[in-house]
Amino acid sequence: MADALAEQTGAGAVPLSAVIADAANGVVLALRGEGDPYALSRLLRQGDALASAALRVLGRDALAPYALDHRATPGGADDAAVVREALAAYPPGPDASEVSVWSYRGLVEASHAFLPGGADHWPQAPRAGSAWVTDDPWPRFSHRTSQLAALALPGIATDLAGRLAPRTDDLARGFIRAVRRRDWLQAAGLGRWLARLGQVPPTLGLDNGLVFVRHMSDGDARVALHLAAARQFYGRGG
Amino acid sequence: MIMDRTSHTETAALTAEVEGLLDSAEPEGFFRDTRECSAVLLIAGSMKSSPPTPRPKKESR
Repeated sequence: MADALAEQTGAGAVPLSAVIADAANGVVLALRGEGDPYALSRLLRQGDALASAALRVLGRDALAPYALDHRATPGGADDAAVVREALAAYPPGPDASEVSVWSYRGLVEASHAFLPGGADHWPQAPRAGSAWVTDDPWPRFSHRTSQLAALALPGIATDLAGRLAPRTDDLARGFIRAVRRRDWLQAAGLGRWLARLGQVPPTLGLDNGLVFVRHMSDGDARVALHLAAARQFYGRGG
Repeated sequence: MIMDRTSHTETAALTAEVEGLLDSAEPEGFFRDTRECSAVLLIAGSMKSSPPTPRPKKESR
């Protein structure tokens, strides 16, 4: 599959969403322990703008299999080169959204943790605003949090997780709202955060809810990625 | 350095697409309020179960 994806991106004939979906599927397989040992540089090749863009959108999730050390070989120089290219090609601009800055920051943090090269080899993690965590009303707060679901992994963005924790009930309300709106990507992202934060209201039925989202999302690769992460890292979602 | 076939314009479009995907707007959606639904159901039910409006009888010739 990785080779097929590399050929597709090389031909430049596929939309970005398809490249993202294929890469997300590769990460899901690795998280489940299926397929060949994970190597990011086999999934998204160096020297291709679409591959770099897909990596920037997936963010920290592109390196998630490396956090499961028995599921992947350690990240190598080729993987580091692919990530460095994406970070250089798509830095958050001066008017970038806070979500974009947080996502970039997460990818830099994960690169430090899982890829070779010292601190000098990676761009500095930018400061990301967090006033929205306390100021946004719960629907908007939930939506924005779901967009940062790639940061819901052990040892990453611990400061953000600490700030989100007091609003766990709002995230639970957001999860229900997203399910009722049939917004499966948002529901999966919020479910993943709830799995990480713990202290979930027992009446929410998070595990059954995540199973329901999986059934209803019709195989959406990004939804599947959030659900696989919730299951592999936090044992939620059956 | 990225060296594929994308032109400068395409790269700019790709950058905008990346930002759009990272901070995408909520999809248009609706959800039904259970209380509103039950109120509508109650009104519809009571209208159907109420007796027909009395009408004047036709005179037989």
